[in-house]
Amino acid sequence: MVRTPATIDVFNAIADEHRREILDVLVGGEMPVGAIVDEIAISQPQVSKHLRVLSQIGLVRCRAVGRHRLYRLNPSCLQPLHEWAAKYESLQNGRLDRLDDYLTELQHPHSHGNTNQQGES
Amino acid sequence: MKENRHGSATTEVISDCEVKTQRAFDAPISLVFDALTKPEHLRAHFSPDPEPLHICEIDLRVGGAYHYAWYAPGGRECSFRGTFLEIEPPTRMVATWLFEGWPGDDAIETTTLSEDDGVTTMTTVLRFKNRESLGDHFQGDTQGMQTSFDQLEDLLATLT
Repeated sequence: MVRTPATIDVFNAIADEHRREILDVLVGGEMPVGAIVDEIAISQPQVSKHLRVLSQIGLVRCRAVGRHRLYRLNPSCLQPLHEWAAKYESLQNGRLDRLDDYLTELQHPHSHGNTNQQGES
Repeated sequence: MKENRHGSATTEVISDCEVKTQRAFDAPISLVFDALTKPEHLRAHFSPDPEPLHICEIDLRVGGAYHYAWYAPGGRECSFRGTFLEIEPPTRMVATWLFEGWPGDDAIETTTLSEDDGVTTMTTVLRFKNRESLGDHFQGDTQGMQTSFDQLEDLLATLT
């Protein structure tokens, strides 16, 4: 069952696997709920509940066209999370590249890594 | 010629309070474990700034503490500290984690290492005590919002 947490933000919205799948499907363009259901392995009522959560925090926008409601992504809403994840990943990459250079230096003291670090002194 | 693995760390948000990072190294597992846990090694690679660590204390036993600190350009001190909860050399280590730049957002970091054919893969999972902690780190940073499907696709690639 879809649990709706007490507080909803971009972060816990995308922490759910099915909501990520829905966002993934919507990368393909605007579509009605039936088309989303066709793409993923959960029922229409579940998809609708997830869409409600995603709409509530602005990740997904909805408009009525005749009898249909069409859903589309509002990617600007994900920007803060993207920036956070990118910053964290780049911090990790910096740290782990330095470790990599250091390990190379320890194992091959005379080879030329991309390091200007000193090995063990 | 060995491939360069620079920039190959992958980070993904795996739950509403956990971030997982994975990286491979061309080194035996025992060397990677030592490089992560011995002060003489950490001093050589941990600081991202030109200033080396001025604090590098590691009491590598369950219940023991660690503390690393260095000065960032501009003089601001960056400090990480915590306590070891589990140590199983050379494959696993669990420790509390507090970055003083993120006060109140203490976390538990689980590091696992595995070696296959001379390549050691390190996986770290940083688990914040609650989802708000992880959420706070990006919510403060909403400057420069842009609408871009490219960025969305990049993001989804990191999340799935």
